[in-house]
Amino acid sequence: MSIFESKKLGEMAVGTKIVVYGVLGIWTFIVLFPLYWVLITSFKLPIAVSGGPFYLPFVDFLPSLHAWSYIFFDLGNDTFRPYFNSVVVAVFSTLLVMITGSLAAYALSRFTFRPRLLTILIFILAVALVIVLVAALGVNWLIAVTVGVALAVIGAGMFRRTPSPTLGNPDILFWMISQRIFPPVVAAIPIYVMFQQVRLLDTHVALILTYTAVNLPIVVWLMYDFFVSIPKDLEESAELDGASRIRIFFEIILPLSKPGLVATSLLVLIFSWNEYLLALFLSTANAQTMPLLVAAQNATRGPQWWYMSVLIIIMIVPVILLALVLQRFIAKGLLVGAVKG
Amino acid sequence: MTVRLEKVAKFFGSVRVLHELDLDVKEGEFLVLLGASGSGKTTALRMIAGLETVSSGIITIAGRDVTNVLPKNRDVAMVFQSYALYPHKTVAENIGYPLKIRRLPRPEMEARIKDVADQVQLTPYLARYPRQLSGGQRQRVALARAMVRRPKVFLMDEPLSNLDAKLRGHMRAELGHMQHALGITTIYVTHDQIEAMTLAHRVALLEGGKLQQLDTPANIYNDPANLFVAQFIGSPSMNVVRGTLDGNLFMAGGTKIMVPVMGKVAEAVLGVRPEDCALTAPEDADVNGNIYAIELIGDHTLVTVKTESDMLTVKAAKDFSAKVGNAVGVRLSKDNLYLFEAERGVRVR
Amino acid sequence: MEHTPLETWQTRAVDWFDRHSGRLFVLPASLLILAFSIFPLIISAWLALSRFKLGSEGYELIFVGWNNFRKLLFGSEQYHLLGTFMPTSWLGWLIVAAAIVLIGWGIRSFVTSGHVTVMGTIGRLIAFGLFAALAWLFAATIGDKGQIGSLSTTIFYVFLGVAIQFVIGAGLAFLCSLRIRGRSFFRVVFFVPLMVTPVGIAYTFRMMADMTVGPISPLWHWLGLGGFSWATNAWSARLVVVLGDSWQWIPFMFLVMLAAFESQPKDELEAAELDGASGFQIFVDITWPSVAPVAATIVLIRMIEAFKIVDLPNVLTNGGPGIASESLTLHAFMQWRALDLGASAAISYVLLFTSTIICVSFFNFVVNPARRARQ
Repeated sequence: MSIFESKKLGEMAVGTKIVVYGVLGIWTFIVLFPLYWVLITSFKLPIAVSGGPFYLPFVDFLPSLHAWSYIFFDLGNDTFRPYFNSVVVAVFSTLLVMITGSLAAYALSRFTFRPRLLTILIFILAVALVIVLVAALGVNWLIAVTVGVALAVIGAGMFRRTPSPTLGNPDILFWMISQRIFPPVVAAIPIYVMFQQVRLLDTHVALILTYTAVNLPIVVWLMYDFFVSIPKDLEESAELDGASRIRIFFEIILPLSKPGLVATSLLVLIFSWNEYLLALFLSTANAQTMPLLVAAQNATRGPQWWYMSVLIIIMIVPVILLALVLQRFIAKGLLVGAVKG
Repeated sequence: MTVRLEKVAKFFGSVRVLHELDLDVKEGEFLVLLGASGSGKTTALRMIAGLETVSSGIITIAGRDVTNVLPKNRDVAMVFQSYALYPHKTVAENIGYPLKIRRLPRPEMEARIKDVADQVQLTPYLARYPRQLSGGQRQRVALARAMVRRPKVFLMDEPLSNLDAKLRGHMRAELGHMQHALGITTIYVTHDQIEAMTLAHRVALLEGGKLQQLDTPANIYNDPANLFVAQFIGSPSMNVVRGTLDGNLFMAGGTKIMVPVMGKVAEAVLGVRPEDCALTAPEDADVNGNIYAIELIGDHTLVTVKTESDMLTVKAAKDFSAKVGNAVGVRLSKDNLYLFEAERGVRVR
Repeated sequence: MEHTPLETWQTRAVDWFDRHSGRLFVLPASLLILAFSIFPLIISAWLALSRFKLGSEGYELIFVGWNNFRKLLFGSEQYHLLGTFMPTSWLGWLIVAAAIVLIGWGIRSFVTSGHVTVMGTIGRLIAFGLFAALAWLFAATIGDKGQIGSLSTTIFYVFLGVAIQFVIGAGLAFLCSLRIRGRSFFRVVFFVPLMVTPVGIAYTFRMMADMTVGPISPLWHWLGLGGFSWATNAWSARLVVVLGDSWQWIPFMFLVMLAAFESQPKDELEAAELDGASGFQIFVDITWPSVAPVAATIVLIRMIEAFKIVDLPNVLTNGGPGIASESLTLHAFMQWRALDLGASAAISYVLLFTSTIICVSFFNFVVNPARRARQ
């Protein structure tokens, strides 16, 4: 247990030092070698892949740009369209989820909510009614929703004065965050049907909205902790200075939570960029995203590793660059959430 | 502009933090809300600002009912204990923020910022960020931000309590001067009685959510309405002796003191300020005891005398010399004795 | 103030917005969650109790009650979800014994804690019940000719994967927190796998694990394992999935644990050093308790996410050999593709219940106590 003995490397025994650097070195290798392998595979001719392991370009094998030219020129739009789709979906869903999630987290950190259990119950009953109407009785969903909304409003009005237990902010916060526990596959089919009904299947909008909803719990959870740590005085001062709520949110609160915003946005962006399952459900051709394109390389003639490697590289390089620039924010941002949760 | 509170009360759930409070602040007046923490003074101020809702009662500013008006539409400016400077804005941007919201034309905005910055001697620091300023400078930025839009009312929530003692004295004087020069109605919350006494035109003393006394500093000091006020104001605080009052004779243990009021109270409290006590020889004293402690303050000495049942603090000359434990007498100035009912603290007049 | 704003409809609209801003700010998020989480959840429940049939004009939903669940739990699809049952082997008995010991210990510490409440009892009944059922399931299907189903496979992915990720991630973080030179280099490098798309990781690991032309194939040949194919063995296929998942997620554990180690209270450390505590004692008494709440929380976060695993088994092994490496999500997806929507929804509900109970239990029995201990 000599590793626990001293706090500074200078005080460590030589043996300990070797062990520490040895372990970290091995892990560096484990992290980098697969990526290196992908990189060199992208420059290999099929023969250099199937002929056995070749490790060093120019020494073991002659690098070739054939895979790159195939992906960029021969496939051309078949590569760029999914890439463009991925960029659009990831960027817009990140923007949308950051705005809606931050707004909710901010409101929960500042205002007191006391929703009545009875009102929620009425609402749930109305929803159940709509579902029964549509699914079991085959009523047109527009009519059913209208009926449901009307009944919910009337019901809420009727029981306005009836005493009922109330929920508080922690309950709402928990409700929002706990959505992350639900596996997306549970919701995938209904979401599929929903977008089919409104004819938005295989569009950017469908993916953007779905990713926004899926990532919302993360944003609410992480941003809530940032907002709580901002002193209330600042907003009250701005309020007295004459600023409106929206203005306070965008001019005072958001600039002050920059580390949290950056970390959370990056995290959410990565999640959307790499998402696979829901894209599989919701997109077929037009809105196909990169993970689907990569996964589809397995096709007819067996895996074509060289093309796949090119696709993997163009998929991960921008994210890695972005993350390296912003990475110091991430640990900080995640820690705040994890410590206070 | 005037500020009126009519029967304003505040409940947090079932806890009453402010009993029905009536307050009438005159135009250009400097009113101090004084009290310990939990007395309701900050709640009262925040209700005037609109940052807390009012449970019952009416608040008017300049004759207009603002009870349910949003804070931003009340045209009041507030200086916070923490100064609440925007850390991501420069001093100039901080000061100019209220003007920016009101979409003032740029040249006019810059002129006004420069003008107030001059008044509070911040001109060289306009391009800096709050974190690059000292405590006193930050305080002045907060003040400048409040002044720049010439509001109807200034609200100040313990603006000096984050400064060190020396700077606090200096800023106190500046604040008083500024308010006098601008003539803007100011409501100022503090727990520091010296700030209250030196700055206020009138002091409202609060305790337990109730207004105890509302009067000029001199009257609060010289004519306290009740035992709480008498003990809260003055440093060191007023001496109290427990006993009974019968006619104009106050009796405590073996001592009898003639007092300037008449009454019959079984449990009474006699109050006398340290400066109205004098040390004498035991034979011509009102109360006898032994010296318990001697503290040289500077221009005077505080002598604590332990009597049969109480401790009396006496303000003596700075060259007073005696030993702890010496027998000594205390004579009370007959015109400056205050009598209270012990139970409710009501003044006997 | 000379610029008193005029009462126009704009200012009135802004005022109205300010007064209701709390609700308005929460509204978009609530609607999104309702539309994409709560409603679909209810509809899925309905689907799980129905049979989906393509008809001449669109589709038909026929209510079939618990049929879908019955088929999965006891009927023709049992082998897929729960596995193939075989007489319990010695490994099975070992699992049963371990489960009995763990549950007994849990009950004992609950009864002796002095905080026996109704809710606590119910919570523990559910948690221990599920735990016992899962242990029995493993014991009954893990035997020689047996085959574990997608439920057990998912549990295997979650527990082994998260355990590997936490141990390695926390270990690396601890080494990096020792004020060594080059720390920022390691921090940047170790972070990278988190960025890589899981689908890409799946292919990368297929390349890496290729026994004939992969980079470590010479090593396999040297070890005499050249003829062995991991993809045809159920357990090695599952293990490769876990390794791929771990490669991606160890950085997450590493980053957060490093931040936690770095932010442990310095004065406590110094006080302990002055008191003459040994390095190991300091780690046990001060460092570990101070990072334990963070550790428990990130393990929970990883567990929640790990239950959803799908991309790796789908691309890496295609669920194979046979159905051996199928996770619940992949299983549900396969059923959806086979147009058996009822079974798909039923499987996803099995996943929902299992993951919710396990995650909530973990939160109540591990995360919360760890946090309370620090307060």
